Amino acid sequence: MRALIPWRLSVLAILAILWVLVLFPSSAHAHVGSPNVFFEGSAGPWPVRIIVRPPAVIPGLAEIAVRVKEGSPARIQVQPVQWKAGLKGAPPPDEARPVRGDQGLWSGQLWIMTAGSYSVRVKIDGPAGEGVAVVPVAAVRTRTLGMQRTMSLVLAGLGLLLVAGAVTLVGAAVRESVLPPGEEPDLRRRRWARATVVGAAILLTLAVLGGRKWWASVDAEARENLYQPLHIATAARRAGDGRLLSLVIDDPRWHEGDHSPLTSDHGKLMHLFLLREPALDTLAHLHPVPEDESQDRFEVSLPRPLPAGRYRLYADIVEETGFAETLTSTVDVPSLTRGIPAEGPIGPRPDPDDSWRTGGAGDGALEGGFAMTWEHDAQPLRANRETELRFAVRDASGQPAALEPYMGMLSHAVISRDDGKVFVHLHPVGSFSMAAQEAFEREGDNMPGMDHGMSGMSGITTNEISFPYEFPQPGHYRLWVQVKSAGAVRTGVFDADVRP
Amino acid sequence: MESITPFPKTATHPRAARATTLPWTVATMLLGSTSIIVGLIWDISWHMTIGRDTFWTPAHMAVYLGGVLAGLSGGWLALHTTFAGTADERAVTVRFWGFRAPLGAWVAIWGALAMLTSAPFDDWWHSAYGLDVKIISPPHMVLAAGMIAIQIGAMLLVLALQNRAAAGETGGESRVLGTAFLYAAGVVLLMLASVLMEDSYPNAQHGAHFYRASCLVYPVLLAAVARASRLRWAATKTALFYTVLSLAMVWILPLFPAQPKLAPINLPLDHMAAPLFPLLLIVPACTIDLILQRRSGTGARRARWWTAPLLATAFLALFLAVQWPFSKFLLSPAAQNAVFAGDRHWDYSRVPGDWMTQYWHKNRPPMTPRAAGAAWLIAAVSAQVGLGLGAWMARVQR
Repeated sequence: MRALIPWRLSVLAILAILWVLVLFPSSAHAHVGSPNVFFEGSAGPWPVRIIVRPPAVIPGLAEIAVRVKEGSPARIQVQPVQWKAGLKGAPPPDEARPVRGDQGLWSGQLWIMTAGSYSVRVKIDGPAGEGVAVVPVAAVRTRTLGMQRTMSLVLAGLGLLLVAGAVTLVGAAVRESVLPPGEEPDLRRRRWARATVVGAAILLTLAVLGGRKWWASVDAEARENLYQPLHIATAARRAGDGRLLSLVIDDPRWHEGDHSPLTSDHGKLMHLFLLREPALDTLAHLHPVPEDESQDRFEVSLPRPLPAGRYRLYADIVEETGFAETLTSTVDVPSLTRGIPAEGPIGPRPDPDDSWRTGGAGDGALEGGFAMTWEHDAQPLRANRETELRFAVRDASGQPAALEPYMGMLSHAVISRDDGKVFVHLHPVGSFSMAAQEAFEREGDNMPGMDHGMSGMSGITTNEISFPYEFPQPGHYRLWVQVKSAGAVRTGVFDADVRP
Repeated sequence: MESITPFPKTATHPRAARATTLPWTVATMLLGSTSIIVGLIWDISWHMTIGRDTFWTPAHMAVYLGGVLAGLSGGWLALHTTFAGTADERAVTVRFWGFRAPLGAWVAIWGALAMLTSAPFDDWWHSAYGLDVKIISPPHMVLAAGMIAIQIGAMLLVLALQNRAAAGETGGESRVLGTAFLYAAGVVLLMLASVLMEDSYPNAQHGAHFYRASCLVYPVLLAAVARASRLRWAATKTALFYTVLSLAMVWILPLFPAQPKLAPINLPLDHMAAPLFPLLLIVPACTIDLILQRRSGTGARRARWWTAPLLATAFLALFLAVQWPFSKFLLSPAAQNAVFAGDRHWDYSRVPGDWMTQYWHKNRPPMTPRAAGAAWLIAAVSAQVGLGLGAWMARVQR
């Protein structure tokens, strides 16, 4: 084997440098929020907890975990139902498999092919009978992927080999391929071969650079198509002797394309959560109403006890397609007017279900002398680990307090990381939107034995509540847990450190 | 013994150059080349019908088998000739980083490596940007380059044999090699047509893009083949192999029951989707042969400065003349049957509607005289490159 002669080495070196330039590592985007969907309830006779982990890229694979709390099912099937296609356009269900070493836990995978509103149907069969649970999932693209170092090195190596190989092939073709058998190439032919090698290297380099440009444009497009919640503009002002918060969906996408009108969730078109910065020492859970049918402008009267300051704002909405999203913004709330009431319209009447809580995490003291305790064991909380957040409520005399439905739910919990990068609105039945589930039911995605995740709501006499959840990232979190008892909404505030 | 030698001996045994049968390495390479194109078309149909796949689908297996057959026979040729080859065997090879093998073997080995490279790249691509959002993606292009290289490698291997067989001879022996070469070229043609599939729906055949793409890709191959072949009607036969292979896939695939396994299913399917009905390339191919053939005997005329423009004119005019009205037929109810499969090449995610039987004009440039001029220019360049390539191919000995 002849050693590489210098001119050939230099061609290879140039190619190598170019090749390394081509494999630009794109930085990984950590997605924000809490994308996994939790369902706690039952599928017919089967009490279950279902966790749907949607894919971050679409088309991609969703992971479905089904924990059957009682009994031994013979078969669990999972099926993705896309909003527009409905059950008719759903593929045949897939089999979930029991997870070895974890009694009662089954897992399955489903392809999510388009962004938008989906539901995952979980069908359980066994001696106890047949049951179905429907878990709505808003499928969105949340990240692009960086390339790992080893991977990029392997690919760069192979790519360099291919480019060098192709260049050599051209050289060999010109130098020898047309010679009669056995004849050696003369000097002229060798020179000519060298020239074509250089030409081929230039052409291939251009092709590779073109490929890089193409790749970059695909990457840019993917980034552009990453999910962005609808943009909102918010403002708070004094009105009459109170204050008014207005919220405008000013996103051009709102009235076009895939978006559909809002539907009510727990009887409200919008659930608005205000968290006061920076200490998160105030929570308000309000229900703005739209000015007109266009559902562009919403207004809500701010409760008088809300201290002035800057608030993080999270607005939960659900579209008729079952697509649930959280719109985010910040708003500066002015202090209350002293003396003469401000001029202008005073806005809508406060919603009787509006609630708020001021003050940081304490010892679980609730309004009116009630108390809430977080019943957790000594195990530290860890990110991405399935957990159950359990709370018990006692009245002023220390007796278990009878809980009443608050907007159709036994309890509402709000969890936010201190930097605001994680926010979730949970119920004992999970994190999915009830309105989204109803939307799928309206579209005929319904079967006998289907549970709405509302079990335990009728005729309950309990003072305990629990929420299925998985903290998506480590960090310092604050939890607000709202219950209704003795006719009033009461909010417990807790802090949690979540380890990696 | 010749049928088991890896490559026919030459210099010392002039008769041996005229192989009586295809050497097994060449036969394996042709088989690999066929396996790849069958696997590819099957795989496209699989994605259109079933949607979900694994590493182990039969369509993928056919593609891997093709890559492995080509890679192994190419690799064997290289190792055998380099380390255990006789002087005669080495005499018909080219040097590559110190190793020796016929040029076609190197091209096929390169193709196998490209296919191998595309696998992790494509896997990463799926996890970064989603599963096969588009067929035409960088990793798929690396894969396609690998596949085409294997098919070109097979073509070059046969070509060298053909050219070493006594030049000008038209009788028995070189007829086998000549036909094998045209078959290999037919596979390449089908491969190119498959890469262009997304732009080649009958609904797109009144648009400028379809004609520009066709003028870029097909004249180069047809002109090169017509020039390099020792047989008469070479381009026509190449187009015929393309048509027959293509029709076989159109007619066979929809015989198999299958069901979509991904949501949303907007078009319920119960059988495998058909590939597109083949283009009527045989007509312009025939004209290319007429222009390039000597009036007497076989072989190509010397190309003149006006040959490429003439080829381009003939190709574009005839292709337009047949494909333009034929696409109308393919969109009509008369083509909605098992023979023409006009209604059987839609995937499960398509929302049925009138658009399926209409020409697509939205966001697509129309075929204006100006666009036709551009297509002609592309065809002329393509034909010129094809003529040059063909002249080289006619002389390839190793």
